[in-house]
Amino acid sequence: MASSSGMIDPRIFEHLQTKIDEDAEVRDQIRAITQTLERQGRNGQSILSRAHSTPAAHLKPVLEAAEVSIKDEIESVTKLAAVASSSPYYKYNNLWSRDIQNVVFSILFCGWLGGMGTASKPAEPGKLLTIEEVGGILNVPVNLKDRDAFHITIEEYLQSLITLIEELARLAINSVTLGDYQRPLQISQFVKDLHAGFQILNLKNDSLRRRSDSIKYNVKKIEDIVYDLSLRNLVPKAGSAA
Amino acid sequence: MPAVKRHRDGAEKEKEVAASPFMPMFESFRDELDEHHDRREGIIKASRDITAASKKIIFSLQRVRTLKSDIPPKIATEIKDRGAGMRIQFESIAADLTGINAWRYQRQISPGIQEFMEAISFEHYLRTQKLITLEEASKTLPAGVDLTGDDYVLGIFDLVGELMRFAITTMATTGTLPGSKSGENFAEERDILMDLRVLRTAFEALDTTSCGGTGLGKDVEKKMEVMKTCVEKVETAVYGMIIRGRERPKGWVPDLADDRAPPVESY
Repeated sequence: MASSSGMIDPRIFEHLQTKIDEDAEVRDQIRAITQTLERQGRNGQSILSRAHSTPAAHLKPVLEAAEVSIKDEIESVTKLAAVASSSPYYKYNNLWSRDIQNVVFSILFCGWLGGMGTASKPAEPGKLLTIEEVGGILNVPVNLKDRDAFHITIEEYLQSLITLIEELARLAINSVTLGDYQRPLQISQFVKDLHAGFQILNLKNDSLRRRSDSIKYNVKKIEDIVYDLSLRNLVPKAGSAA
Repeated sequence: MPAVKRHRDGAEKEKEVAASPFMPMFESFRDELDEHHDRREGIIKASRDITAASKKIIFSLQRVRTLKSDIPPKIATEIKDRGAGMRIQFESIAADLTGINAWRYQRQISPGIQEFMEAISFEHYLRTQKLITLEEASKTLPAGVDLTGDDYVLGIFDLVGELMRFAITTMATTGTLPGSKSGENFAEERDILMDLRVLRTAFEALDTTSCGGTGLGKDVEKKMEVMKTCVEKVETAVYGMIIRGRERPKGWVPDLADDRAPPVESY
């Protein structure tokens, strides 16, 4: 093939083919891990979903089960970090970003419900885990700037926060159904504080922007619940709260 | 105090004027995201400028009429000036394309690099009648700016279009196919059509099915079709030249209705 030609150094296309094949191999390795992660993520979220039908006082077994599931996810993230760190981070990060966002969300939601406690940082319902705390739990760096390695990005954390807000809006409704009139107030304050935070971000027209646009609807949804409760004098008195 | 909260329904909300406890966190996120967007926009701008300069270099090069010889001085000066301008553009963004940010802005810089690839590979071909290698091409970029295999291949795809234009314009104005010599020493002489066919064969042999919808896989299909059409256009033109032979008046231009306007007109 093309032997008569001095036009193309035959190594050019051989080399390109090698590159393409190597690239495909890395993708396959990453995909194998993200598939596991996806399954584990679904499992974790289905466990956490039980929070919607479980009164706050009886959450403990749910949280414990969720923490076990999250542990599996952490293991997968460790494997992913090892494989991914041999390539430039942003070359393949779109392959796993979604799954990482799901893991981070599970951790955030579990943490908010009062799970994910550690010896140094006891669990506390209604708490927002920071990106650094999430990184600590996952055992990976966050928001890396000085070196090229696997990490959790700000964008991923923010995406997970939006998912958390959506989930809490649902939880606010379901709390009322469970007879818990205190939690919607707590959620309302929490989500409003997050919303205020999102409002100072200068988002460009990207996926983060589009999703963050939905926050205000969730804020409204939660406000409506608080309104319904206060209209009927169901809001617990400040003294009996907390 | 950052961001004033909106009060949806009146006095009751007044209590909340107290800043959200998450504000410091979001402020640092905002700064980071702003930096990211600034870098991104700078790169998009540079990429556009590099694309424009590359296109102009290609236009200048299309005025060359001879293969395998030095670029005429006037054209050489033109492309040298443009090249220097591009270098400044590349250097201005090189720092934003290194370390953790390598590949982060690949989508933004890629169009510029591909056009640049097209320009330097065209120039390289006109001078040497050879395809520039990935290594040679990488060396023409300032340190810090990587040439990916994908951008290289996609740039070479576009090179085929330029070679087609060059071959046909040269045939129309000089009556000969670039590269072909009147002598009969067939073995070592290659004309541009032979080169185009070799390129076509090499492209067709490249297996990109594993790329999926990413990078190369996304564009390769369309470019492959365009590339084939280009080669066929030259084949048809050479056929026309041979069959009508010397009876064709000098300066006659074959009908290329769906082709881009000849480069000279764009000035």
